[in-house]
Amino acid sequence: MKTVSLGASRPSTVNFRMPTRDNLVPIRVDLEVDGQRYRDAFTWNPRDPDSEIISFAKRTAKDLKLPANFVPQMLQSIQGQLAEFRSYEGQEMQIKEKIVPLKIDLRVNNTVIRDQFLWDIGNLDSDPEEFARTLCDDLNITDPEVGPAIAVSIREQLYEIASQSVSVMREKQLSKKGRRAPEFSSNSKAVNNAVDLFKYFGSKGSVIRKRKEWYLYEPVVDVVANEEDGKEEPLNNSSRPKKRAEEEKVASLQSL
Amino acid sequence: MSPPAAGAAATSSDGPPSSPRELYTIPASSGWFRWDGIHETERRALPEFFGGAGGSGFGTATRNPRIYREYRDFIIAKYREDPARRLTFTEVRRALVGDVTLLRKVFAFLDASGLINFSASSSSSGPASRQQEVGVVVEAPVGLQVTPRPPASYFAEEKRGGPGGEKENGFRLPPLTSYGDVFGEWAPGKAPICGFCGEECNDEKVETLKDGFKVCSKCSKSNNDNEEEANKCPGDKKESVDNHASSPWTDAETLLLLEGVLKHGDDWDLIAQHVRTKNKSECIARLIQLPFGEHMLGTINVKSVSRLHMNQATDGKMNQHLTKDTSSNSTEKVDGMQIDGNEDSADKSVEEHPTKRRRLFSSMDATTSLMEQLALLTTSTSPDVVAAAADAAIKALGNENSQARKAFRLSEREFKTKAFASNHVQQIDRKVGNKDVEMHDQTGSDKKQEKKFIASAYQVRAAVATAIGVAAARAKMLADQEEREMELLMASIIETQLRKMQYKIKHFEELESVMEQEYTSMQQMQGSLMNEWLKALEQAFRAGVSLPRDELLIKLFLNKPSP
Repeated sequence: MKTVSLGASRPSTVNFRMPTRDNLVPIRVDLEVDGQRYRDAFTWNPRDPDSEIISFAKRTAKDLKLPANFVPQMLQSIQGQLAEFRSYEGQEMQIKEKIVPLKIDLRVNNTVIRDQFLWDIGNLDSDPEEFARTLCDDLNITDPEVGPAIAVSIREQLYEIASQSVSVMREKQLSKKGRRAPEFSSNSKAVNNAVDLFKYFGSKGSVIRKRKEWYLYEPVVDVVANEEDGKEEPLNNSSRPKKRAEEEKVASLQSL
Repeated sequence: MSPPAAGAAATSSDGPPSSPRELYTIPASSGWFRWDGIHETERRALPEFFGGAGGSGFGTATRNPRIYREYRDFIIAKYREDPARRLTFTEVRRALVGDVTLLRKVFAFLDASGLINFSASSSSSGPASRQQEVGVVVEAPVGLQVTPRPPASYFAEEKRGGPGGEKENGFRLPPLTSYGDVFGEWAPGKAPICGFCGEECNDEKVETLKDGFKVCSKCSKSNNDNEEEANKCPGDKKESVDNHASSPWTDAETLLLLEGVLKHGDDWDLIAQHVRTKNKSECIARLIQLPFGEHMLGTINVKSVSRLHMNQATDGKMNQHLTKDTSSNSTEKVDGMQIDGNEDSADKSVEEHPTKRRRLFSSMDATTSLMEQLALLTTSTSPDVVAAAADAAIKALGNENSQARKAFRLSEREFKTKAFASNHVQQIDRKVGNKDVEMHDQTGSDKKQEKKFIASAYQVRAAVATAIGVAAARAKMLADQEEREMELLMASIIETQLRKMQYKIKHFEELESVMEQEYTSMQQMQGSLMNEWLKALEQAFRAGVSLPRDELLIKLFLNKPSP
């Protein structure tokens, strides 16, 4: 039996990227022009040339029959978010096993889904899209927009944690140089709610969760009535997937 | 012989060595699966947990073989709670702590390899393989005819015949089984299941006995005469079987039964009275069928234990004699015949050793836990030790009785003819899984070989001796260890005490030296004081006596404490 020293996850440093298998950036667009509102969430490959964004925006506007003045705004919004992502890219981030609880609380069309699960942000093999697909299959969710919305939501949370860890790294380096970093502790909020690995994976712990806690990690799906539809967002009646991924993200991830 | 085979899933046919420890059917492709180990396939498929190529995250807190086994065992156990239902990942993940990506990989692997969801069908065809209900063995009275026999062979006997017939039901239950498994309906779409061998009969030649049992062509051929006999004499057991099939137990009756068992213990007459609506044997059969019935009765465990020891014994034996066995079948048959003829003498020879016999029975009847412990001990010892103990036991038995030697040689030939014999060698420590295989083996081939009873009697004895030997070896080891530990502890206690004493002595010495110093300084003070007094007096005398001084002096003398 090999001796496995607990917590000896060797942190390795890589250039910033999404901590998933596919380096896809979650993009969220929420625009209001001339009383018309367009909300959408999707993923974007930062390696794609920026010219793609224009054609994407044009195509989307055409498909959804949006007025042409949406296009520059969409372009701006997407480019802004990609630029933010790229601003992190030059920096280093630590890849280290860290299991955090992620929460899903979404309403997509008529489906309301809440869920909580643990995610290892050090696992560069993870695939939010596939996870979401499995979830929808298991729960018999037929709405094709739900899966992508879940995946985007996961990606957004991972993105936030990853970008925080980058700034923590930077602050560490700064403080090494002697400068004070007063906001150091406030920024590492996401780092602190990681699961106590010793508690569950130590020799005394058990990875089988207590039965009474099961409900916390169980997806709950509700189908709501159709009433609000149409009055809230009259624009989005077309069947384009992934749009209107209405999501209310729980900012403070509660620790276990 | 294959274990009871499931209907829907491909069975691990003809591969008893690779069947799981619990007699739970899994696809033949995943026959490598073991509860108590991790197979190479698992290591290859999930390198994260075991290191090696692609095992990027191996060695971290959440990824090691122990965690993997916890995950795996939980998922499989979860599925088996209700094998008819498809287990989903979402269902599993709420109960497991860990990275969902990793969990999903484990789940996908188990799913793909058929360890879970194998008999869950999209259509609700019900549990595929619940033949326990149907597969009540209609025992042939063959066993009852062999009356003179060494008492030890009673084990083997009872397992096939007599009251053992119904017990086999409980005997076959996998530990992980649940209500749904045991009482699940036999799917009507499946092929009929043979009441004798418990296998699914795929060929058309299925005979139906008049009491509703199906018998496959294979069994009907071999059991022809037994069948007739069984039909001729509708004994107590068959009756119970009939009743059992006709009137199922209600929950209230089961409750009454359990109450009765708690109240009356082993007294089945009273229990039957308590239940009222069922007779004695039905109560027994029912209790054994309950998932926890085994625990209440315990005897079944004893049997399985003895059986597995037997396996070990023969394993060891086989190694030993494989080369020596040159005698032809015919001579061995002669041996067997001799044994047949000398049953009485064999019986006597056993009775000559009453201690042995008593021990056997006491361990069989009363102290279930002893045998369980033995089994436990045997599992916890290395195969080498077991093998050595088995050899020793066989040798001792051989010296004790020459019949035994023959019996072992006989059994060895038999095992050699079996397809799986060679596999046994490497599987000394694989235990419980064999019991059912073994059992079917017996039911299949016992018809004409009474000599085997005697052989198995010796095997059982050898097995028990082996187990006890192993236990003794282990006990010795433990005792030695304990002794060493005791010595160590004693030594440390003494050492601590000594140190304490030393500290005390040191302390006292220090005190003493302090006191001495003080004493000397006080003496010095006293001397100097005296000197001063003397000086003062001398000066007073020399200077002549002046009144005030005298007064002063007198005062001083008066104040001075008497020397």
